[in-house]
Amino acid sequence: MSVPRRSLVPAVLLAVALVAPLFLDARGYPIRVLTFALLFAAMGQAWNIVGGLAAQMSLGHAGFFGIGAYTSTLLLVRTGVSPWVGMIAGAALAALAAVLLSIPTLKLKGHYFALATLAFGEVMRVVAGAWEHFTGGPQGISVPFSPDSLAAFQFKATRPYYYVMLAALVLVSLAFLAVSRGKLGYRLRAIRANQDAAEVVGIGTFRAKLAASVISASLTAALGTCYAQLNYFFDPETVFGLAPISIRVALIAIVGGTGTLWGPFVGAAFLIPAEELTNHYLGAAVAGISQLAYGLLLIVVILIEPRGLVALRIPRLGRRKVEVAP
Amino acid sequence: MALLQALVDGLLIGGVYAVISLGLTLVFGVMGIVNFAHAQFVMIGMYVAWFAWATLGLDPLLASPLAFAAAFVLAAAIERLMIRRVMRAPPVAQVFLTVGLLIALENVALIVFGSDFRSVRTTYQTAALRLGPLFLSVPYLAAFALSAASAAALWLFLQRTWYGRAMRATAQDRMAAALFGIDPERMYQLAFALGAGLTAFGGAVILPYITVSPSVGGQFVVLMFTVVVLGGLGDVGGALVGGLVAGVIQSVSTVFFPIQLQNLVLFVVFVAVLAFRPQGLLRGVA
Amino acid sequence: MAQAPGENVSGARGRRGFLRGLAIVAALPLVTGTARGAEPPPIHVGVIVPLSGANAQFGINSRNGIELVADEINAAGGIKSLGGAKIKLVVADSTSTPTTAATVAQRFITQNEVVAILGAFASSLTIAISEVTERRDIPLLTMSFADQLTERGFKNIFQIVSKGSVLGRAQFDYTLAIAKATGEKIERVAIMYEDTAYGTAQANGLRAAAKAAGVQVVMDEAYPLGITDAAPLINKLRASGAQVAFPVSYLNDSLLIIRAMRQQNLDTPAVGGAAGYVIPDFVKGLGEFAEGVLSISPTNYDNAPEFTERFRKRYGYFMVHEALEHAAAMYCLTQAIEKAASRDPAAIRKALAETNFTTGWAKAMTGGAVKFDGKGLNELAQPVMVQWRGAELVTVWPESLAKGKPVWRKRK
Repeated sequence: MSVPRRSLVPAVLLAVALVAPLFLDARGYPIRVLTFALLFAAMGQAWNIVGGLAAQMSLGHAGFFGIGAYTSTLLLVRTGVSPWVGMIAGAALAALAAVLLSIPTLKLKGHYFALATLAFGEVMRVVAGAWEHFTGGPQGISVPFSPDSLAAFQFKATRPYYYVMLAALVLVSLAFLAVSRGKLGYRLRAIRANQDAAEVVGIGTFRAKLAASVISASLTAALGTCYAQLNYFFDPETVFGLAPISIRVALIAIVGGTGTLWGPFVGAAFLIPAEELTNHYLGAAVAGISQLAYGLLLIVVILIEPRGLVALRIPRLGRRKVEVAP
Repeated sequence: MALLQALVDGLLIGGVYAVISLGLTLVFGVMGIVNFAHAQFVMIGMYVAWFAWATLGLDPLLASPLAFAAAFVLAAAIERLMIRRVMRAPPVAQVFLTVGLLIALENVALIVFGSDFRSVRTTYQTAALRLGPLFLSVPYLAAFALSAASAAALWLFLQRTWYGRAMRATAQDRMAAALFGIDPERMYQLAFALGAGLTAFGGAVILPYITVSPSVGGQFVVLMFTVVVLGGLGDVGGALVGGLVAGVIQSVSTVFFPIQLQNLVLFVVFVAVLAFRPQGLLRGVA
Repeated sequence: MAQAPGENVSGARGRRGFLRGLAIVAALPLVTGTARGAEPPPIHVGVIVPLSGANAQFGINSRNGIELVADEINAAGGIKSLGGAKIKLVVADSTSTPTTAATVAQRFITQNEVVAILGAFASSLTIAISEVTERRDIPLLTMSFADQLTERGFKNIFQIVSKGSVLGRAQFDYTLAIAKATGEKIERVAIMYEDTAYGTAQANGLRAAAKAAGVQVVMDEAYPLGITDAAPLINKLRASGAQVAFPVSYLNDSLLIIRAMRQQNLDTPAVGGAAGYVIPDFVKGLGEFAEGVLSISPTNYDNAPEFTERFRKRYGYFMVHEALEHAAAMYCLTQAIEKAASRDPAAIRKALAETNFTTGWAKAMTGGAVKFDGKGLNELAQPVMVQWRGAELVTVWPESLAKGKPVWRKRK
């Protein structure tokens, strides 16, 4: 009985997601919020491969995100290479960075891993700021203006971006499912349950975690390119920042529920509109009050359900939120 | 000469890093929680000292026990209301809670105290002792001396008092401690409050040379974690060494590299330490 | 905290937009006919500034300046060419994240139907907003310094102050002129700057000016924002033998630098780069040591006390430069709306680009007026050198704008 419903729900959701923008102003505010929610859901999902399946809490995903944004944008600005090609280059570079980062960090457990990745993100931020003649430095870098074109990955309206981000979310979620249901996911679960035991029965724990890390890093970098094309401008703090990216992405997966397919969906559908709504209704009042409300909201959510909103067991409500955000 | 001066500056500033990080490592060591909100207690300590200075005319160094007390009480309440409820939750949830707390505390400060940058004026803050060709900044020296004193007090507390021993016992084995009649929840609360108090104390003693504003805590978040990891998470003695090492690295690196890269050098050392000595610089050495 | 009467309408507007949608479906005449009477609907102007995070104070100052002018215009009868329509400010927190700032801009444009946007103090936020306003053809008025704001060929951006590189150059050139006037020839200078967009842009200007003047830069150091120890900077400065130091810093670092110099009895004159050096908290933090410190500033309140004293009277502190520039920007915007006699952003943009603003708050700017060139840059803007005298900032250079004589204490 539950089997047909399981495949039905995603299909219905996807259909709603495909049709919804047709009823919204193509260049309006609601569609922009939805587009960012989709992008951040995808980022949360990419994080989920490492943070959820391998249970390695990364606080340095901004490092990969920024590599993606900078690689494609620098290639575009300097050599005119299409951002789509730049996206692949960025993903490759991020994969390389993930391998290099894994050598000293992957054997670390729990908090140590989290703090080491945090340092990695900060290193990338400092480098992007200091290497001024290459990256443009702290003054940031702009994506050159171009007329509407899919090849150039640039549109005047938000609606095309919405579909790009939706596709990205679907693809990253499929990647998550593939990893989760494949051999790799099996190994990662074994490691998560008991790393030493997994080692004993012959699971190559390092290789399994490395694979998860590389997949997650390259997907995150690709999303960095999407972000650059959507926002047109960024500086080191925006893409490599601890608070704006690393922590936020982890929060999205955590608030929804780590290691679950729907966690990042629920997390993004909750957090991104929550940020917007607190800013919308309280942003003009006393300075700081909208941020305070946001912080308190985080606290309340975690006190109500530390395992993430998905664990509240009202999946229908949780899922529909993805679509009804303002 | 420049190297020696940098070394001295680094040691002095590192003493302060040590005391603000002691609190964080204590919280981690006893409770096993990575507390992102902890740096906000630097800010709280600074505000308490600033108001003591502005209203009572009290020097921030003298007001530092007040800062300790205020943060102690506030943190005990936060532990009771929030942290206690996630002690059994997964680590990711704990981190998440402390991030919410970080944002909330900063913005409460913004609403209550306003966005002004506040700093104190004391007679010694522009003074320095000359030791041959070396300069010893008086506010750094004073902050260092008080930091050392508070670290010594913490050490005595942990070694010599029943509470201190009970706290260490809880950190080692919660179950066993409970069997000996120690209430672990009470110990967690004490550790959290004590950690916050120490960090706020550190905030008060740096007020003579650092300006306070609601976002000042953000300057210390990453730094504090670095110090704590250099010393070994949860290792109180290690945090002292870690603080000094971090201060010296920051300061000495500026002799050889651009100042802009001082944190880069620190982070590279940080990752290297994690990779090769995740137990911290000290543990297992002596 | 004085609040403009027109504030916090964002929520109401959001709902009203929805209600209006319903009303069109239901019965349009019912809604439009009632209550409104003869008074025309207000004109919405978006204000996006940081009201939280490290730049909150500058954001609040900016908002205060804008509110002051909006209230004055409304009290004087609103926009006359539009039947006395009142200005309604729609304010929101940009936070410290460019993405959020840009999203707020999008919201203002579609939900609040703003005719123009002002903001957002920090250059990175303003650039992000400009990407939205340019694509939606909404005028954006700013006092951010970044050079690239008006160098990307955008048509809807209006930068009311000198660019960062121009400020840096003026910081250098004015200093040399002041030193020369007192008989010192500057040959070696030191540059130190915080490594965000503001510091880097201004340092570029300083460096270019030094090169043009054939002056040796004996120290050129960026330092991380949020630095907690200025000793390394001052150690290098001491060793460099510079005759003058150009620190470009926010408040905390500026206090660290000045105090560390005092500790080491280093009497190299420091000429600040605006930001931390030209706010009341600077003198509050340093007391007597602030006396005589020079700084470049895009504008200064003593240029037009007849206007800026109104700010001091209402808010209780002198009119800091970002408040002054935002006030002038707000004023120019209202005059452009007046001239365009239209709520159409395109018409307002045209009026902004074509008008020479010579009245009211535009006179408080250093040029005595505001005129935007083809790129949207205020071509009359000219930085000034200010010097601390007690708790006040006095313009001391250039001589044509000076309200007092510069005091130069050279290094012994």
